[in-house]
Amino acid sequence: MSQNRPDLGTPASYTFPRPERTTVGGGTVVAVHVPGQYLVSVRLVHPYGGAVEPLDAMGVGALTSEVLEDGPDGNSSLAPALERHGAEWVSRINWDGFITGVDVPVGRLGEAVRLFADAVRRPALDHDDIVRRRDQLLERFWLEAATSSTLAMRSLGAQLFTGRYATPLAGGPVRLADIAPETVASYHADTLASTAGTLVVVGDLSGVDPVELGKTVFGDTVPAPARVIDTPAPPPGELPRVLIVDRPGSVQSALVIAHRAPSRSQVDLPRAEGVGEVLGGMFTSRLNMELRERLGYTYGAGARFDLRRDSGVFFMSAQVEADTTAHSITSSLEQVARLREGGVTAEELSAVRDSNTVGLPVAYSTARSMAGALVDMVVHDLPDDHVDTVRAGYERLTKEDLDSAAVEYLHPEEAVVVVVGDAGRLLSPLTDTGVGPVEVRTPDELWA
Amino acid sequence: MRLVTAPASTGQVAAVNLWYGVGSRHEVPGRTGFAHLFEHLMFQGSGNVTKGEHFEEVERLGGDINASTSTDRTNYYETVPAHALDRVLWLEADRLATLRDGMTQEVLDNQRDVVKNERRQRYDNQPYGTALERILRLAFPEGHPYHHPTIGSMADLDAADLDYVKSFHKAHYGPDNCVITVVSELDPEDVRARVEKYFGAVPAREEIPQAPDPVLRAPLGGPLRDEVVEGVPAAGVFLCYRVPAYGERGFDVAHLLSAVLGQGQGSRLYRSLVVDRPIAADDGGAAADVLPFRYTDSLLLVNMLARENVDGDTLEAEILAEVAKAAQGVTEEELDRARAVLERDHLQSISGPAGLADSISSCTQLFDDPELALTWPTRWQDITAEEVRAAAERLLVDENLLVVRFDPEPAADAADA
Repeated sequence: MSQNRPDLGTPASYTFPRPERTTVGGGTVVAVHVPGQYLVSVRLVHPYGGAVEPLDAMGVGALTSEVLEDGPDGNSSLAPALERHGAEWVSRINWDGFITGVDVPVGRLGEAVRLFADAVRRPALDHDDIVRRRDQLLERFWLEAATSSTLAMRSLGAQLFTGRYATPLAGGPVRLADIAPETVASYHADTLASTAGTLVVVGDLSGVDPVELGKTVFGDTVPAPARVIDTPAPPPGELPRVLIVDRPGSVQSALVIAHRAPSRSQVDLPRAEGVGEVLGGMFTSRLNMELRERLGYTYGAGARFDLRRDSGVFFMSAQVEADTTAHSITSSLEQVARLREGGVTAEELSAVRDSNTVGLPVAYSTARSMAGALVDMVVHDLPDDHVDTVRAGYERLTKEDLDSAAVEYLHPEEAVVVVVGDAGRLLSPLTDTGVGPVEVRTPDELWA
Repeated sequence: MRLVTAPASTGQVAAVNLWYGVGSRHEVPGRTGFAHLFEHLMFQGSGNVTKGEHFEEVERLGGDINASTSTDRTNYYETVPAHALDRVLWLEADRLATLRDGMTQEVLDNQRDVVKNERRQRYDNQPYGTALERILRLAFPEGHPYHHPTIGSMADLDAADLDYVKSFHKAHYGPDNCVITVVSELDPEDVRARVEKYFGAVPAREEIPQAPDPVLRAPLGGPLRDEVVEGVPAAGVFLCYRVPAYGERGFDVAHLLSAVLGQGQGSRLYRSLVVDRPIAADDGGAAADVLPFRYTDSLLLVNMLARENVDGDTLEAEILAEVAKAAQGVTEEELDRARAVLERDHLQSISGPAGLADSISSCTQLFDDPELALTWPTRWQDITAEEVRAAAERLLVDENLLVVRFDPEPAADAADA
């Protein structure tokens, strides 16, 4: 065993594969050929995220995403049909996009894409299926929210935004109940049925014809209309402030400290995300080193930006032993203050720079992760060389860039602290922190 | 030490994956949770590496790094740009050879607190979080090495001391107890030379400890029950049956049976209890699976949560009725679907360099056959519908059943409403 650490070799230069774009009818196929990758990822991206849902039908997108699984023949017939082809159905909605797709062995690609296209464009949308899926989704809301960290994240929207973001993506336990099967049908007709979207295909595409795939998926659909960007306003209330969501008997508290941030297109990505990584994006980031590795309060602490097309959120999160909640909050805020005042170290700068440049081959080592990057580029209208442009930004990054980013993008004075835990045990110590006014609510009151 | 090199089209990435043949089955009473706590300590510094430095080195390369512990093994992995392969091999070799030089009471105390919070986060503060712990307690008798979960108990974690940490490393961490897999685009001889360079001089263990006896001397003696009333959002039913050990044909049959019953939306439990008579919460088709144990009986698990206004007894009875039907027969079509689902999941798991490396390490550590990582799905090809039916008739019976039931606390009295 040598005591001498071997030098790193020279990193190979990396360029994100340039996708092949093919316009077919009203849509575009964006294909990346990865030799040897025989499990192909197919993703159809539509610009119909939760953010553009009508306020009187919040959750209709999430419900439609579920209902698609009933397939063209209804009665939950789609997934079994795909399962027989060894294909896996993908359907999810986020704030900015509605993403459907399949992962499938390349030998069965053609057949799976035909099934997929039928499922997206011509689902049965049977009345009973929709009611069943809606009721299941409603119940699942509380099943999932029984996990404290999930409840904390879902509680956050109404603390930072008015409008659509104040209600969880799936519509929450109240608004979703009002959605009628007819609303799902008309939503689907106006969006997935009639507009083309963009088809992302990643894998070993030798012998695969993108035009054929495009014809199958796009048919006679038309391009989706451009979206109007409108930044939602914050709710009233003093900042910073603390909300305790009461869950009596909790041995841990799920903690989120968050504030509003600019939209994705407004931030300088390497600077913003770089400073987020220094604070909480890696195991060795400041929050984790302090709360986990020094104090032993938590299994893990982190921070990151959630950047959307019209707005953004910065948040820090951890699940901490109940009695350490107050100190975990003040310690986290102290870490932000120190970063803003003292800036980053040379080691932190190089860690951010290196991990986002030489590390790119690792980040894109599976078809799924590469498809994920392409979906992100489609959702945010980014150019094909986006990954390389951002990498170049990281290569140029200086200490001054990150120091100024800490001041520009981190705003503890505007933070909302959400704590899901035992209010009886937490109210007094959290009040004593002096962070701000403390309000206690029960989970049932949040979306009444 | 067994090295497996797998040349693959990885796109400038090297995946390094180590499986040490030590897990919670090696723990003795009073020391539960130790193999996992020890895994944490492997990141806390060694002879030539300071606390946290291992993570830092890999993260700054944009690499993926982590570790996990199960009953049968402890796994460490790094996926890095290929130019960093030597550095990663050196880091792994350093903690294998010199961990005891870097270990202090301070890091032990810190990681003990971290692991206790991991236990709170995953088990104690999580609805149904103690289900697996309760299942193992019933599935294997007191004193059996699979009787306790990998996370261990709070009391045993408190009892861990520095001397024991050092003796555990000496007893279990030798190259003779390790499989290392490197998936990369490099020439296998080149990889071999590098591994030899860093690990070649690390001595094998002087003594090989005897693992606690995993032989089961009696059938389960079911039906066994554990009933829990606590703050869960819905009644939860967990059924568990003993099935043959991982690696036996009987395990593969049970695996297919679990897929017929509860993997995918074409599975019986999903069709019957989520779609047709919607009394179970929609889990997307994940109601049944097998928990693979190499050195003792594996477990076939069935888990569903009740819909609103459905009580736990009703759900439990309906699941049991559906499970019992498997003994009457399984169709070829069902079996084809089950094979396709398992094959898809297997292909997905080996489709990237890190997953492929992990699967190869597993097959080498447990079966001494790295090729199995690629050929595993063929094991399902010649299993017949009659074999699956017969397994259901033999295994899915009350005598081999244990049930863990969670029920919500009764609603508070409405008097103050």
